[in-house]
Amino acid sequence: MTYISVNRVSKKFRRRGQVTEALRDIAIHLEEGTFVSLIGPSGCGKSTLLRIIGGLETADEGEVLVEGVAPLEAQSHKRFGFVPQAPALFPWRTILENMRLPFEVNRKGGRQTPEQTEEAKELLHSVGLGDFLNAYPKELSGGMQQRVGIVRAFASGAPILLMDEPFSALDEITRERIRYQLMEIWDSHKKTVVFVTHSIREAVFLSDKVVVMSSRPGRVTEIVDIDLPRPRRHELEETEEYLRYVHHIKGLLRERWEH
Amino acid sequence: MTTQQNAIDNVAASSRIRETGIGWHKALGAARRLGGYGYPALAFVLLFGGWELAVRIFRINPLTLPAPSGILNALFSDFSFYLDHAGVTLYEAIVGFVIGSALALIGGVLMAHSPALERMLLPIAVLANVTPIVAIAPLLIIWFGFGSFPKMLIAAIITFFPMLVNSITGFRSIDQNNYEYLRSLHASKAEIFFKLRLPNSLPYLFSASKTCITLSVIGAVVAEWSGADKGLGNLVMVFSNYMQIEKMFAAIAMLAAMGIVLTAVIRIVEQRALYWHSSTQTREG
Repeated sequence: MTYISVNRVSKKFRRRGQVTEALRDIAIHLEEGTFVSLIGPSGCGKSTLLRIIGGLETADEGEVLVEGVAPLEAQSHKRFGFVPQAPALFPWRTILENMRLPFEVNRKGGRQTPEQTEEAKELLHSVGLGDFLNAYPKELSGGMQQRVGIVRAFASGAPILLMDEPFSALDEITRERIRYQLMEIWDSHKKTVVFVTHSIREAVFLSDKVVVMSSRPGRVTEIVDIDLPRPRRHELEETEEYLRYVHHIKGLLRERWEH
Repeated sequence: MTTQQNAIDNVAASSRIRETGIGWHKALGAARRLGGYGYPALAFVLLFGGWELAVRIFRINPLTLPAPSGILNALFSDFSFYLDHAGVTLYEAIVGFVIGSALALIGGVLMAHSPALERMLLPIAVLANVTPIVAIAPLLIIWFGFGSFPKMLIAAIITFFPMLVNSITGFRSIDQNNYEYLRSLHASKAEIFFKLRLPNSLPYLFSASKTCITLSVIGAVVAEWSGADKGLGNLVMVFSNYMQIEKMFAAIAMLAAMGIVLTAVIRIVEQRALYWHSSTQTREG
């Protein structure tokens, strides 16, 4: 049985009489413990698709099943660790208190165990934030804040992580470093990740599967299996196989633009 | 430099100004050395020193404008008397402020969650706000008598609107990413309110509180003018009727002191509650 299945999902947005077709007939199936990226030009509905999987939005047609149940039910059991574009840290909470936040709400969905508190601290240490456990978000740089957001998702106990362009607000150098850190954490946790991005190199480097989408209406152009060895480290980005995937996906996206 | 030395310097600086009218740069120098409090202290010394001098030099009739020294004399010759009345006005203002704030918060919660309710109730609140509330004070005295209740009511009504508007704004203007994050955890509406909306509204609520606490004192005083047997507003009225201008000013001085203390208290609470907010970061670190 597939872990997350999206069956013929369509979604339209209506705004002042105008109808935009955000998604048309999307079908994808994701295996447990895999890293999947959704990539495409802006307006292709990749964020909308992510939000439908996470139960933040509903599909007009079709069906999404997460671990065999509807997204909202999965959400109520706290199956999702969400990482939005901006870090979503609460400014009146310290970093550790922010890490505790997912355990404080919807408590019947699960509480924090002492082991999880330790895990939160260890993860923060592993991404170089060990000295900031009791700092407030405003004391951290944008890159550090986003690292907290990512680490929080891993430490929240949720098996499925939904990341909506989490690196888009960061500069290139910070972005690369966090990408490598994300890979290292993922290697040791093996959660299922759905990762929205508009960076081809990022998608190929991180993913087992890249879902290439086109816009207006948002549809799936091709699903590319990335058959590169793991663990992946930055050296991979110099190899020929890696670059072949990058070129292939670039070609898919360009084909679409030329239409 | 010790604070005692500061105080001595300050007095020395001000007396130099009074004696000679020169030594400006010395006075400013002393003010600078006192740090954050130096300049305001200098301004106060100049204001009240100038007032005192003007009254003495021009021999102004104390029935028109008494000197600060005369006012202080009136105040401290019978301080417990003024304190008693200040207590009454303070009580009315604070109880009114608390009731008005509590009702505004409840209204804010309801309206922030229901746009329909907001569209129904906000016009009424606006109407109540544009009506000069002090104008209905005489009516409230007729209805509820000379006691404290109508004064609290006026203070509460005056407090209500700014607190309401600010609480609605504070509850609504939440960071969308934070909101979605809580939603992705299936947080309940109550959890979203207590974890996100309420803390988010605190800067707005404190800002409104600073305005409203002084407004509620004004409300209580004006209501006392319409009919009361106690309170500083009542004293101002009575002494002005009897042309006891120094005592009247003493009551006004008490009101000013009350305003300062109330605002300062809110500021201190604000500094503690909003440690995380940029508005509380001090300029001198």
